[in-house]
Amino acid sequence: MVNGEIIVENLVKQYPGNVLAVEDVSLQVKEGSIFGFLGPNGAGKSTIIKILTTLALPTSGRATVGGYDVVTEAEDVRRLAGVALQDIGLDPLMKPLELLSLQTRMFGASRAQAAQRASELMELVNLTDAVDRRVGTYSGGMRRRLDLALALVHEPRVLFLDEPTTGLDPASRRDIWEEVRRLNRQLGMTIFLTTQYLEEADELADIVAVIDKGRIAIQGSPARLKSELGNESINLAFDGRDMAEKALTELDGFATQTQLDRETVRLYMENAAEAIPSVVNRLRDVNIAPISLTLTQPTLDDVFLQVTGQRLRAEAQPAGALAADGEREKRGR
Amino acid sequence: MAQIAAPMTGRYSAGEAGLATQIAMITRRNLTVIFRTPQALLPPLIISVFFLVIYDSTLGEAAAFLPGLSGNSYLGFILPLSLVSSALSGSSLAAQNLVRDIESGYFDKLLLTPASRTALLLGPIVAGGFILGLQAVFVIVVGLLMGLQSATGMAGLLAVIGLAVLLGSGFAGFTVSAALGSGNAAVTQAASFLFFPLTFLTASFVPLELLSGWLKVAAKLNPITYVLEAMRSLLNSGWDMTALWQGIGACLILAIAMYALAVYALRVRTKRK
Repeated sequence: MVNGEIIVENLVKQYPGNVLAVEDVSLQVKEGSIFGFLGPNGAGKSTIIKILTTLALPTSGRATVGGYDVVTEAEDVRRLAGVALQDIGLDPLMKPLELLSLQTRMFGASRAQAAQRASELMELVNLTDAVDRRVGTYSGGMRRRLDLALALVHEPRVLFLDEPTTGLDPASRRDIWEEVRRLNRQLGMTIFLTTQYLEEADELADIVAVIDKGRIAIQGSPARLKSELGNESINLAFDGRDMAEKALTELDGFATQTQLDRETVRLYMENAAEAIPSVVNRLRDVNIAPISLTLTQPTLDDVFLQVTGQRLRAEAQPAGALAADGEREKRGR
Repeated sequence: MAQIAAPMTGRYSAGEAGLATQIAMITRRNLTVIFRTPQALLPPLIISVFFLVIYDSTLGEAAAFLPGLSGNSYLGFILPLSLVSSALSGSSLAAQNLVRDIESGYFDKLLLTPASRTALLLGPIVAGGFILGLQAVFVIVVGLLMGLQSATGMAGLLAVIGLAVLLGSGFAGFTVSAALGSGNAAVTQAASFLFFPLTFLTASFVPLELLSGWLKVAAKLNPITYVLEAMRSLLNSGWDMTALWQGIGACLILAIAMYALAVYALRVRTKRK
C-alpha cells in the first residue's frame, strides 16, 4: 500500500575496511510528520539518507519508503520521494528555470507542464527576483532554496533533507524552516531531515532521534525527551571541577537525574523551585558555596549530553568549520 | 505565495518522455552550457588551423617529390590530418562536460530522476559531435581559402565532415569512460591526450606506401589510417567507394568498442554500493 511512511528495520551499513557507519538502526516515521535526525558529524546521518533515497545499499536490514522497498523497488521510491542532499548539486552555468524544467521533464512532464511547474516552484521558494541570473551568482541561501525546489519538481510525498541549513546564516536558516513547515502543513508531506542543530530539531520535528556512533541513542518527541530528564533543573555553578564533583556526590538523591557539565551541576526534578531551600541548606552544611544558582527547563542539548556524554555545540562553530564535514562522501573516485 | 496542489504519487508518470526526447533534452542542455563558455572552444580551432598552415607551408614544397601523391595537392593530403587531430582532441569536450557535472553533483541529481541512463551518456556525446561538426566546417573553410579543391565537390566535403564527426564521436566514448571512471577533470584531460600517438602512428605526412617496417604495420592496424585515406581520396582523387567504406567501417569499429567501454564505466559509476 502506497503511503507517506518510512519504516527502517535493523539497518546496518558497513563500508570496506570494517568501518561500521550505521549499526542496527530501527525507526518509524508516520505519514505527514516531520522527523528530525540529530547527531554530530560522522554519526551516520548522511549514510542513512543515502540508503533511504536509493543512492546506497544497506549491508543488512530493511527499509521502506511509502511502502516501497529501497533495495528492490528503487524506481518507485525515486518517484515518491524527493531529496536535497548536503552537497548541493547545481550547475553554476545554468539558469534556474532551465534546471527546474529539465528536472521536471525527466520525470515525464510535458514541456508546458514543466514550464508551469518551474515558475510555480520559483515562487514557492521566493526566487522570482533571481529568475534570469545564472546559478553561479547565487548566494548560499539561494542555492539551498533552489536545490529544495529541485527536490520538489515531481511533488513527492516524502521529502529527505540532509542538513538543509548547514553553513547558512540565521536569516536564511529561518527561511528554510518556514519552507519546511509550510510543505508539511499545507501539503501533508512527510519530512525526514538530518541536522546537527538542536534548535532546528526542536523547532521543526515532531519526533527527534539522536544518533551517535551509528546507533540511535534515544528517540521521541522533543517535549517527551526533555521531560524524561525532569521538568525543570537547578543549575549550580562552582569554582572548579573538583568542587562541582564534590557537590554532586553530596546532592545525589535530591534529583531524579543529575548531570555534571564542566563546572556546573544540574539537578533535574519535578518541582525544582520547592527543592531550592533544601539544596542550599545541604550545601551550607557541607561548606560548599556555589557561584551561581539558576532554574531552567531542560533543552534538547541537555538531552543530548545525557545520552551521548558530549555536547553538540554545532551552533558555536563558524560556517567554515562545518564545510570540512567528515561525513561527506567524496564523489571523485 | 504559490499554492500548489496536494502531492500525488507519480504526477507525471503517464507521459514519460521517450528515449529520443530525453537525449534531445540532455543534448540541448549540454550545448547551452558549452556556448556559455565559448572561450573553451577557441584553442582547438586555433591549433588545427595552425597545424594546417604550418604543415602546408613547410612540407607543401617537398610534396612534389613524394611519388604517392601523383601530382595531387599536398593541402588536400594534409588537411585530413588536421581534421582528424581536431576531431580527436575535440572529442574530450563531451567528457569535460560530464566530469563537470560529476564534480558539481549535478550528475547525481539527474540520476535521481527516472531518466534513461543511455540519455545521460549520449546527451553530452551528441552535443560534442555537433561542436566537432562546426569545427570541421571551420577548418575546411580555412582550407578552401588556402586554395583547397575537392575532387568530389561539395558532397565530398560534407562526407569528409561526416567522417570527422563520426570519428570524434566514437573516440568520445573513450574520454567519457575516463570521465565516468575517474570523476576527475585532470584524469579526463590526460586521457584525451592518448589520441596523440594515434595521429602519428599512421600515414601522417607521407602516403602509406612510403612507410616501412614497424611503422607500416602500426599504421595498417590503426583505424585512423583508413579514415585519413578515405578523406584524402575524397579530396584528391574522387569517389573511391572501397576507401570510403573502409573509413566508415574503421570509425564504427572504434565507436562500438569505445561505447561498450563507456556503458561499462557508467554501470560501475551508477552501481549502488
